[in-house]
Amino acid sequence: MTTGVEFLPCIVAFCCVHSAYQAADAAGRMRIPYPENIIMVHIPCAGRVDTLHILRAFENGADGVVILACHEGACHHILGNIRAKERVERANALLREIGVDGRRVEMRTCAPNDGSRFARVCHELEEKIKELGPSPLRKHA
Amino acid sequence: MDEVKIGVFICNCGDTISKSVDLLDIRARLEKLADVALVSIGHDLCSPQAQQAIRKDIIDNGINRVVIAACSPQLYGDALANLVEKAGLNRHLLSVANIREQCSWVHPDKDKATKKAMVQIRMAVDKVRLQDVVEQAEVEVYKDVLVIGGGIVGMEVAIELSNLNLRTTLIEKEANLGGRLKQFAALYPLQVTPEEMLTSRLKQVTGSENIDALTSAGLKDLSGEVGNFTAKIRKGNEEISRNFGAIILATGYETLFLDKVYGFELGDNIITQSQLEGMLKSPGEIKKIPQSVGFVFDICDEHSRISTPSTLRNALVIKERFGSEVYVLCRNLQVDGAGLEKLYQDVRNKGVIFFKFERFPKVLRENGKINIQVEDLSMAREQVMLSCDLLVVEEKVVPHQDFATLESMLNIGLGPRDFYQEDNVHLYPTSSTKSGIFFAGNCHQDLDLGRALTDASNAASEAYQLISSGKMRVEVERVVVDPDKCALCLTCLRFCPHDAIRIDYEKKTAHILDLACQGCGICAAVCPAKAIKFKDWSDDQILAELEVV
Ligand SMILES: Cc1cc2nc3c(=O)[nH]c(=O)nc-3n(C[C@H](O)[C@H](O)[C@H](O)COP(=O)(O)OP(=O)(O)OC[C@H]3O[C@@H](n4cnc5c(N)ncnc54)[C@H](O)[C@@H]3O)c2cc1C
Ligand code: SF4
Ligand code: SF4
Repeated sequence: MTTGVEFLPCIVAFCCVHSAYQAADAAGRMRIPYPENIIMVHIPCAGRVDTLHILRAFENGADGVVILACHEGACHHILGNIRAKERVERANALLREIGVDGRRVEMRTCAPNDGSRFARVCHELEEKIKELGPSPLRKHA
Repeated sequence: MDEVKIGVFICNCGDTISKSVDLLDIRARLEKLADVALVSIGHDLCSPQAQQAIRKDIIDNGINRVVIAACSPQLYGDALANLVEKAGLNRHLLSVANIREQCSWVHPDKDKATKKAMVQIRMAVDKVRLQDVVEQAEVEVYKDVLVIGGGIVGMEVAIELSNLNLRTTLIEKEANLGGRLKQFAALYPLQVTPEEMLTSRLKQVTGSENIDALTSAGLKDLSGEVGNFTAKIRKGNEEISRNFGAIILATGYETLFLDKVYGFELGDNIITQSQLEGMLKSPGEIKKIPQSVGFVFDICDEHSRISTPSTLRNALVIKERFGSEVYVLCRNLQVDGAGLEKLYQDVRNKGVIFFKFERFPKVLRENGKINIQVEDLSMAREQVMLSCDLLVVEEKVVPHQDFATLESMLNIGLGPRDFYQEDNVHLYPTSSTKSGIFFAGNCHQDLDLGRALTDASNAASEAYQLISSGKMRVEVERVVVDPDKCALCLTCLRFCPHDAIRIDYEKKTAHILDLACQGCGICAAVCPAKAIKFKDWSDDQILAELEVV
């Protein structure tokens, strides 16, 4: 970053217990490291996440938000992941309205046993947010 | 509300956690947090001794909410909830911070891992502070099972349940039990004939006091929920009303010939696998022995478990019985079933010739013959011309045509291929979207008979586990609607994936059926009036957790 201090992004990851949460456990069992600055919020289904939650994360200073859900067609609650996608799109539109890059929020999918994918996704997210820089909504930006 | 006293119990996990997380530093910081009354670091919290100690700590210190920072709750979550319960607290007043799998094992840098563990435990503290009590209750359920569909699979389910001493009502819409199996002369790799299989099961079904088999019967209406369904069954002009604890669908499959996909029509010398099965079963129907027979398959459905065994089996029968030239044209053989590799070798050794194509062969009718032009991959893409007297084509296996009516009557979702919802096949092989309704056999996947029968056992044992004690434990109002806020907009009703919400028109509110609710929280997220509270994942809790950001 221009400040000279390395920018350490803060990312909130809503992790569905049927997929990403278990994938993170799998990554743990395989000792696959991933960035520690990802705050994992444990949820019962991606469909539990409300636009409100996504926006609050940004308000509190997150640089990026991701919902990590089951693969399409494999949601334990059938359409929870589709609902989550709709919310992500809505949050995306709202963020754009207030001048925040919509790419800061996204939805990714992951199988419950795919630890390496989980770790890879975390790295990719960190890379992406590093490129976008600190969120303009950050309290201490 | 009483003063909140949170106890935080941290596990060093035989030093695997403490090696990479500075637990003493964490304890010092946790002790400064509001409402935290006790922070204790222990060895191996999963051990009985440690659990005893935690129980004592909870009681002695008047702790009324518990955070455990240890391994993944996927491992010991239930045991920890039991522990909290034994200490006299409601089992929901517990939050687990996963500082092993999701922290110490993946973050080698001790400072960073310590920082993250602190974040995780703080989130758990903030969450448990706002946790509501959720009581459990036991409700009585009916121990009877309704099985819909009297094919081999439905019969098998009823027999298994009967052996487990559960009563079943088996309804079959045709006049006879047996389903599709009646049309087969032989099935691979079974040594017994389909007829023998059916006869022995028929004997068991009719001989069992626990099975009431109703033929020429169908489901007319269904109400209620798991444990307490009420079914109206129509048999002729009669209507019978019965109560059931669980329902198993075994409505089987139909086959369709896809002329659009093939680009030609059926006729005297182009027939389907099903028609061939019929001919082999009643040889009188075969007017002229074909000198050469072609089989073409595997263009319909890569998921099919049926094409390979049925084609190989019939190719062999024709070769052996009529001595005809036999060609098998396919995109892909699936020999992953029991004995299939050997069957394939046998068929080859008997002189059946295989062609593997990428592009579907050209099929032309000429003077009573079928000419086939195929580009064969195994022979350097050479164009091969074949001529046959009879061509047998694969059909698509689809769920029974009645499924649409049944689906709307039962309110269960369909899966991606229009079979009944296959759900996460690997995790929940026979569950439907709706609690208490299960699938067995070919109504939800195209299975070979061996797999279909295993599926029948699975469905039977799931139903058995659910209702056999006559009681079900249920979480009372884990997800609950506030009648004062509910605007009766019906949004939740439309979005609930498990058909667990009803409208109480008298009280003018939506309400959630505790037994049917599977705790996804979708309703709480979609309700525009924010009238629904999910007590384990309330908005307040999620927002409080986000305060760590
Ligand atoms: C061409 C072909 C070849 C095959 N070859 C082989 C093989 O070689 N080896 C092998 O292992 N497997 C083979 N199979 C698969 C095997 O046939 C099936 O696994 C088995 O028949 C499935 O039985 P089922 O009871 O699930 O379905 P079905 O036999 O279809 O039975 C379903 C029953 O439910 C009834 N029903 C439907 N809807 C209702 C309703 N609404 N109310 C009341 N009753 C209803 C139907 O009338 C029927 O009696 C083959 C299948 C096909 C199509
Ligand atoms: S979505 Fe909310 S307001 Fe609408 S019916 Fe359901 S509980 Fe009532
Ligand atoms: S949490 Fe709500 S949407 Fe999910 S199953 Fe229960 S009632 Fe249905």
